[in-house]
Amino acid sequence: MSSPKTAMRLNKILAMLPWVIANPGATVEEVCKRFGYTRKELVADLDLVFVCGLPGYGPGDLMVAYLDDDEVVVEMADYFSRPVRLTPGEGLSLLASGMAMVSSAQAMPALSSAVQKLQNVLLPDAGEAMVVDFAEPEAVGVLREAASTGTVVSIRYTALGTGATTERDIEPWTVFSTMGNWYVSAHCRYAEAERVFRIDRIRDIELTGETFDPPAEPPPPVVNYTPREEDARATIRLGPRSRWVADYYPVEILDDEKDHLIVRFSASDPAVAARLLLRLGADAELLSGDRVAESLAGLRDRITTRYGAGN
Amino acid sequence: MQKVIERILNLLAFLLTVERPVTAEEVRHTVAGYDAENDEAYRRMFERDKDLLRQLGIPIEMRPTDAWEVEYGYVISEDYALADPGLTDEERVALWLAAQAVRIGGSPGGATGLFKLGGAPMVGAGEPLAADLGKSVDELAVAFTCVAERRALRYRYRDKDRTVYPYGLVHRRGHWYLVGPESADVGVVKAFRMDRMGKLEPYGAEQAFVRPEGFRAADAIPAAGWEAGADDLRARVTFDQSVAWWAERQLPHTTEIDRDDAGGITATMSVANIEAFIGWMLGFDDGAEILEPESLRNRLIDRVRGVA
Repeated sequence: MSSPKTAMRLNKILAMLPWVIANPGATVEEVCKRFGYTRKELVADLDLVFVCGLPGYGPGDLMVAYLDDDEVVVEMADYFSRPVRLTPGEGLSLLASGMAMVSSAQAMPALSSAVQKLQNVLLPDAGEAMVVDFAEPEAVGVLREAASTGTVVSIRYTALGTGATTERDIEPWTVFSTMGNWYVSAHCRYAEAERVFRIDRIRDIELTGETFDPPAEPPPPVVNYTPREEDARATIRLGPRSRWVADYYPVEILDDEKDHLIVRFSASDPAVAARLLLRLGADAELLSGDRVAESLAGLRDRITTRYGAGN
Repeated sequence: MQKVIERILNLLAFLLTVERPVTAEEVRHTVAGYDAENDEAYRRMFERDKDLLRQLGIPIEMRPTDAWEVEYGYVISEDYALADPGLTDEERVALWLAAQAVRIGGSPGGATGLFKLGGAPMVGAGEPLAADLGKSVDELAVAFTCVAERRALRYRYRDKDRTVYPYGLVHRRGHWYLVGPESADVGVVKAFRMDRMGKLEPYGAEQAFVRPEGFRAADAIPAAGWEAGADDLRARVTFDQSVAWWAERQLPHTTEIDRDDAGGITATMSVANIEAFIGWMLGFDDGAEILEPESLRNRLIDRVRGVA
């Protein structure tokens, strides 16, 4: 195996050479900025190119590459005048990230035309074969602005687990999206701690005008749930149709058989597990967990009462 | 690392100028850097270099060296070079910023691709979107290639081999979908969630299908879970004031909504997947109720009682 570093460096050389050949007179600064080189790295790569070329490997066969004052010179290397095609992974990455930004309405105008040009080359005559839809709730824009200007916002928030609604002042740090949902990480003045809020659960939002000093390095934006001592725990047997639960919830897998999966499920509120169990129906079974069992019984009770179908 | 790069540059220079298939033996004796001590060492070195080149997007292929096909040699296929999309520097910068802000399967992509497109004068950094599109680039690249090459994909689902003709690839609400029919000539276009498909393998020849005129992949993706499926019901549902706001944020725009004085709503909507719909309704605890049809009401009640 060649190391990823070797691949990266070779990729860069094979991209830099055609560009310099196509842009004679390019300055060191320009080439460095464009291809992410330091001057020293660029010199090292040019030195390397200088000793390569065609069989014979004499003065007339090797490529010529050096710095002339502030100018990058590459000669006798016409066979490297065409950049290499994109791999499927590279094409997909550029197209998908470009499309995501365009749909988020955050993009510079040049991005739309860039995405269109890439599509014409990578998916010619395919109509709208590839779509990345990244529509965002309205509050995302407000929070993003508040995060960049360091403005405190006041929100009315209904928690997903408990359904409790609270009003809080938060200092928004980072707005991010994962698994199809948008989140904001913030210092919550109400909880006096760092919190992550799901943005579509924010009922109302208002900029207060008050400012705050953002942390020098806000913690990385992740939705991480770490079970705490007081959280509800349950052991659940998942049938074949419910295996997806293990991919969506932070569960611990206790046993993995062909026809079932046994997991330990933790949640800050037992109602989360109860609702999930009800949804899964006969394909899942609660093996142990008193608080979850109690919550599930209550849930069954309330819904049957609502439907006038009490026992 | 230096030695490896030198000999690969020499190999490329040779193959790109010689314009005929070159045997492995000729490479060994002609190209600087390949003069290995023994056959086995040479073979391993050459294989490794070919792999690296393939990884960068440069395919090395075997072709007969003469009309009698007695001997085979290596060539770089003509399509190794970039089809230049003709980007402006402004467009390159925009793509660069997008690639920095969007992660795919946890890693920011795009740098190596962008270098091939001419790099980007990287002035300043934009406000990061910090979005993760999920799924690994490698998995998506297989699907993407087949979409581009109009080639079928094979996968296993519940112990059965299945085929999809990938007309399109869509990311919406955190999931990647492949869109297309399950046979080359029958036109029922469906959406398949990729995280439920298992490992995908290209299957059969390229150009195996033709997309319908004006094809739009996004049209096949349901707006809500209960809109995708084979069921066909109209349901009337009521939501109390406490949860009405949350229901409304998830209901498709086409839903008919009546408001009552207490702040609750009654919605009339289409249900194409009963299972998904029941699951969604249960999430509202006792804050919502299916009014019609009776069959759907009973399905939910049975579920809550533990009968189904």
